[in-house]
Amino acid sequence: MTQAEIKLCSLLLQEHFGEIVEKIGVHLIRTGSQPLRVIAHDTGTSLDQVKKALCVLIQHNLVSYQVHKRGVVEYEAQCSRVLRMLRYPRYIYTTKTLYSDTGELIVEELLLNGKLTMSAVVKKVADRLTETMEDGKTMDYAEVSNTFVRLADTHFVQRCPSVPTTENSDPGPPPPAPTLVINEKDMYLVPKLSLIGKGKRRRSSDEDAAGEPKAKRPKHTTDNKEPIPDDGIYWQVNLDRFHQHFRDQAIVSAVANRMDQTSSEIVRTMLRMSEITTSSSAPFTQPLSSNEIFRSLPVGYNISKQVLDQYLTLLADDPLEFVGKSGDSGGGMYVINLHKALASLATATLESVVQERFGSRCARIFRLVLQKKHLEQKQVEDFAMIPAKEAKDMLYKMLSENFMSLQEIPKTPDHAPSRTFYLYTVNILSAARMLLHRCYKSIANLIERRQFETKENKRLLEKSQRVEAIIASMQATGAEEAQLQEIEEMITAPERQQLETLKRNVNKLDASEIQVDETIFLLESYIECTMKRQ
Amino acid sequence: MFPGLLLPRCSPSQGARRKWKVVENAEKAGLLPCLPNSGFKRADFHPQLLLHWPRKLTNRELREAGLERHRLEEAQYISSWPRRGLRVGEGQQPLEFRPVPLPSGEEGEYVLALKQELRGAMRQLPYFIRPAVPKRDVERYSDKYQMSGPIDNAIDWNPDWRRLPRELKIRVRKLQKERITILLPKRPPKTTEDKEETIQKLETLEKKEEEVTSEEDEEKEEEEEKEEEEEEEYDEEEHEEETDYIMSYFDNGEDFGGDSDDNMDEAIY
Repeated sequence: MTQAEIKLCSLLLQEHFGEIVEKIGVHLIRTGSQPLRVIAHDTGTSLDQVKKALCVLIQHNLVSYQVHKRGVVEYEAQCSRVLRMLRYPRYIYTTKTLYSDTGELIVEELLLNGKLTMSAVVKKVADRLTETMEDGKTMDYAEVSNTFVRLADTHFVQRCPSVPTTENSDPGPPPPAPTLVINEKDMYLVPKLSLIGKGKRRRSSDEDAAGEPKAKRPKHTTDNKEPIPDDGIYWQVNLDRFHQHFRDQAIVSAVANRMDQTSSEIVRTMLRMSEITTSSSAPFTQPLSSNEIFRSLPVGYNISKQVLDQYLTLLADDPLEFVGKSGDSGGGMYVINLHKALASLATATLESVVQERFGSRCARIFRLVLQKKHLEQKQVEDFAMIPAKEAKDMLYKMLSENFMSLQEIPKTPDHAPSRTFYLYTVNILSAARMLLHRCYKSIANLIERRQFETKENKRLLEKSQRVEAIIASMQATGAEEAQLQEIEEMITAPERQQLETLKRNVNKLDASEIQVDETIFLLESYIECTMKRQ
Repeated sequence: MFPGLLLPRCSPSQGARRKWKVVENAEKAGLLPCLPNSGFKRADFHPQLLLHWPRKLTNRELREAGLERHRLEEAQYISSWPRRGLRVGEGQQPLEFRPVPLPSGEEGEYVLALKQELRGAMRQLPYFIRPAVPKRDVERYSDKYQMSGPIDNAIDWNPDWRRLPRELKIRVRKLQKERITILLPKRPPKTTEDKEETIQKLETLEKKEEEVTSEEDEEKEEEEEKEEEEEEEYDEEEHEEETDYIMSYFDNGEDFGGDSDDNMDEAIY
């Protein structure tokens, strides 16, 4: 794990879970798998705090454990999973576009709590939806369950590995930690529950009517004493499926930008048909015949079969090679080259970065070297039609920033510089890695700057929050306009200005984080699929 | 800016000690305001700086010239100092190309609002572990009865302990010593068992007392916990906090006298 990644993980953990969890988490990421006592000793925190932190981390799937020989349990953190926390808003928004508010809240609850049973999720989501509905209306559990089942069917949520039911009566002491197993077939199997009920609105009267005096400490099993039907079956969000969806979205929008709307719809149909049949790391989708595609086109599109065939031929002939033709049966068998598509997307990202950072002439040189693979300096000047001095300057600038690399080809065995060819080349994989590293650093900077801005204006923020609370309570009890005005004037005009500036800055920083995360996603997918291929 | 005042009367190397004639002339002519006298060496003016007043000066140039920035600001030789509020590309190394604008629009704003909301929500969940409040210097009587924070570092939420390694479970010690001492005198009148059984029970309780004082030992703890759990269920209704009083009625007097600052009409008894 690079230093930049560790720093970013530390910032994310601290922001979401607090300092103690951050300390433990970063220590585990840095040092690999360790047992409990060693963690406590090395970080200098008390054993109880470490236990608490580990419970939280395991609950959120950030840390896993393994039983080694002699009963020692070792804990290991997954750095890449911690970095996914940046992407939570994007996951939730995607679910909203696909399954509307109910789906959005289900995924949100699962992400915030790590893992939950289906009944718990349904209950929470129904309560939350009921809060937002008008008075008198409540959300039925059945509707939420239906959305949950649909999410499970399309693999967006999956079951967590569970404790195996031991048939053999083991007389010896139970193992120090359970080994969790999951059957491939059961991963998306929704248990047959009949969840009947409606969401509860949280009214203040309900809380007082709890009845018993507070002296009675509530027992661990809360109000409902009846056994939960799906006890032990926990669900978590399937991040890979979301990544697959994002990748498909990126490919479709790329095709739309390059060609037109209709071809992007055709590609979208092809991707949708191969969603479940193709695994997420396959280099290309299963071959689809033109007839199948024609049948599966969305209802609104009434293009004739010949037009579809023409579009498919056009897509297959495109130099970007998103779509390939793999056979002629069934009117032509077409596949989508996923790895090639990801490579093109990563390359486009690199080109755009070079253009925005160094200018369009540099971008021209970059694209030229990409196309021709290896070029000498003289050849670059000739092909790009840029004067020698400028071309040299730009090449050196890009070289110093590691977008390009130099390949030496000696003519003589003594590698004399005057008798060596120096060829400029772009190694996409290493440039992508370099850019990814920069992205991690920039997000860490953005988060730190945002925290700094908030800390600087903490006093002012607290004051404004207090004033808002006072205004809200006064409005609830029915106060006059003059009184409200007076309270509002507690915040002076320059302070208001300051608050406005702060809000604008924080919004800008947040939006930048989201933007950089999209780039990170593309680069990481590309690097991952290239590594798998090799 | 002051073309006629270019040539100093003494060489630059001696400028540190002698007052530049140019400055003297300018001050007399009223073109330059007289600088405050407190330790500021007017003679430190570098002649070239006089030529370049309209230009914004950078820190390095001034440092080389040996001047103090704030004094110049005070004397208003420098009008606008780009200290804060630097926009993109206005620092020491200006950016050649400005960054592309961020995506705006409905989707962008929704995701932004969602992100900020999630950040706030995660801080309220029980998974956010705050560092423990530092203990006050003297242990106060009310500490025993105030529920500040989780008891004995226990967790606020209930994970499924079957899925976690056993060593992670934090056992809550509910002031065991006192509990045992209260149990012992009450036991004989309640139970109508034989003497032997009572003796046995006393022995196990004694053993438990010993175990409590010893270090954590996992196997014994399990037995202890099982017995504790049995007694917990038996005693929980009567021995909640070893008091017969309802918790919410307890008032430790901290609020006394602090409420009514305004109305001094009512007498406080």
